[in-house]
Amino acid sequence: MLTMSKLKKLLANFKLFFSYRELLFNMARREITQRYKQSALGYAWVILNPLFQLLVMTFVFSTIFKISSFSVPYIIFLMVGLLPWNFFAQSLGSSSNALVGNANLITKIYFPREILVYGTIIAKIVDFLYSCIVLIPFFIYFQVILTWQVLWIIPIFIIQLILTAALSLIISSFNLFYRDIQYLLTLIISLWFYLTPVLYPIEQFPAKYRFIFIFNPMSVLINAYRQVVLGGLPPNLNSLGIAAITSVVLYIFAYLLFKKLEGQFADYV
Amino acid sequence: MIIIKAENLSKIYNLQRQKTFKEFIPALFGGQKTKNKFNALSYLNFEINRRESLGILGKNGSGKSTLLKIIAGVTKPSDGRITVNGKVAPLIELGAGFHPELTGRENVFLNGSILGIKRVNMEKLYPSIVEFSELTEFMDQPVKHYSSGMYMRLAFSVAVAEKPDILLVDEILAVGDIKFQEKCLKRIKEFQSQGSTLILVTHSPGQIEQYCQKVLILDKSKKTFFGSVKEGVEKYNLLTS
Repeated sequence: MLTMSKLKKLLANFKLFFSYRELLFNMARREITQRYKQSALGYAWVILNPLFQLLVMTFVFSTIFKISSFSVPYIIFLMVGLLPWNFFAQSLGSSSNALVGNANLITKIYFPREILVYGTIIAKIVDFLYSCIVLIPFFIYFQVILTWQVLWIIPIFIIQLILTAALSLIISSFNLFYRDIQYLLTLIISLWFYLTPVLYPIEQFPAKYRFIFIFNPMSVLINAYRQVVLGGLPPNLNSLGIAAITSVVLYIFAYLLFKKLEGQFADYV
Repeated sequence: MIIIKAENLSKIYNLQRQKTFKEFIPALFGGQKTKNKFNALSYLNFEINRRESLGILGKNGSGKSTLLKIIAGVTKPSDGRITVNGKVAPLIELGAGFHPELTGRENVFLNGSILGIKRVNMEKLYPSIVEFSELTEFMDQPVKHYSSGMYMRLAFSVAVAEKPDILLVDEILAVGDIKFQEKCLKRIKEFQSQGSTLILVTHSPGQIEQYCQKVLILDKSKKTFFGSVKEGVEKYNLLTS
């Protein structure tokens, strides 16, 4: 009986969320339009930022540190990993402010609060898709040949999205209770970046420590992107499957936690 | 037909004494108190029927705003039950959803969706919102260039664009100039005659006599009176004098 009523409540939550779907997209639009208003280059920054980031990193890590990227040019190797990483890191970063930054709404009007979190993620998806324009000239210049395997990026991206949403729900709600989370997050993300094979191929990581990648779904995803885009091969389905299950389980946990805490948001924000 | 029913409604705030981990962790292990309990509402009971409006009187900190928040569904009661049969439109602090960088038009649509109004309906309501606000020529400007009076006018116009079942008003009747205020009050009267319930928090018994059929007086989180306006206002005047 208890589970029945819980299930009913869950269903009611989904229904309510669905009825607010327009708000979700309006929030995402607000996030996008407000950010680059009153800047001369406007939305072009979404492309310029990763472009400069790529050029600087390529110079440092390929020219100075001479990291090997095997058969592909380093900048190509880097961008296929860096762009999805940026999407991940920026989503988490902005999610810490998703609830706190909308305190005036949270204390005044009821609507499903996860909309605020998902809204920022949707805005970051749009940024990510635009930033992928950077790939085009480089892929043409270096004559990267894509195969049909590239379609694997869709399921890989969906897994990444689930993982991102799960962590964002947790971060946004914890940061509402303790603002320390946002500072801790900067630290964790930069550490996580170096422990994910974005700048280097996994083969360069000391073999005896390589087991840590098993616990890092982002490393599985970044490797999978490279495999399907640059290698022209299907991804390692075993590790991708584990990453998918981890992400879904984490998401369910995060969603239930978020919904449990939601009632207290207005009292603590 | 009951539209709002409160049964033993209570709200206790657990105020965190320490805002950061740095303060919280030592306090937790040092056996210090980490929470302050604060009773905002205690065992409140009342019923409001459809077509009735309620005025809430009370000093600052008596729990009036907390009650509005519970009715709006923003915060949950710690104990007891609240039943709300209808769509609630909060008018508590107008323009909460406005973003300064967006234009008036963009903000109108954004605010509409925050209030749960579908875009199709907003397209239909838009002309009347603009007309009501008297800001036709400013709609394509970012609201950061608006004066505070204009800002409030636009926010109010969105909030009253669609007839709600329950309208929550927290002392906002100071919108813009006298003429606009009268227009707002007229709109509220119209809603009432069409069957909306108004929940009005105020310090002015005069406004209650004008708009409400029931009065709730709160004092230090407790109900001291609930009933007819005439009796309630007399009692309030006695209390405050």
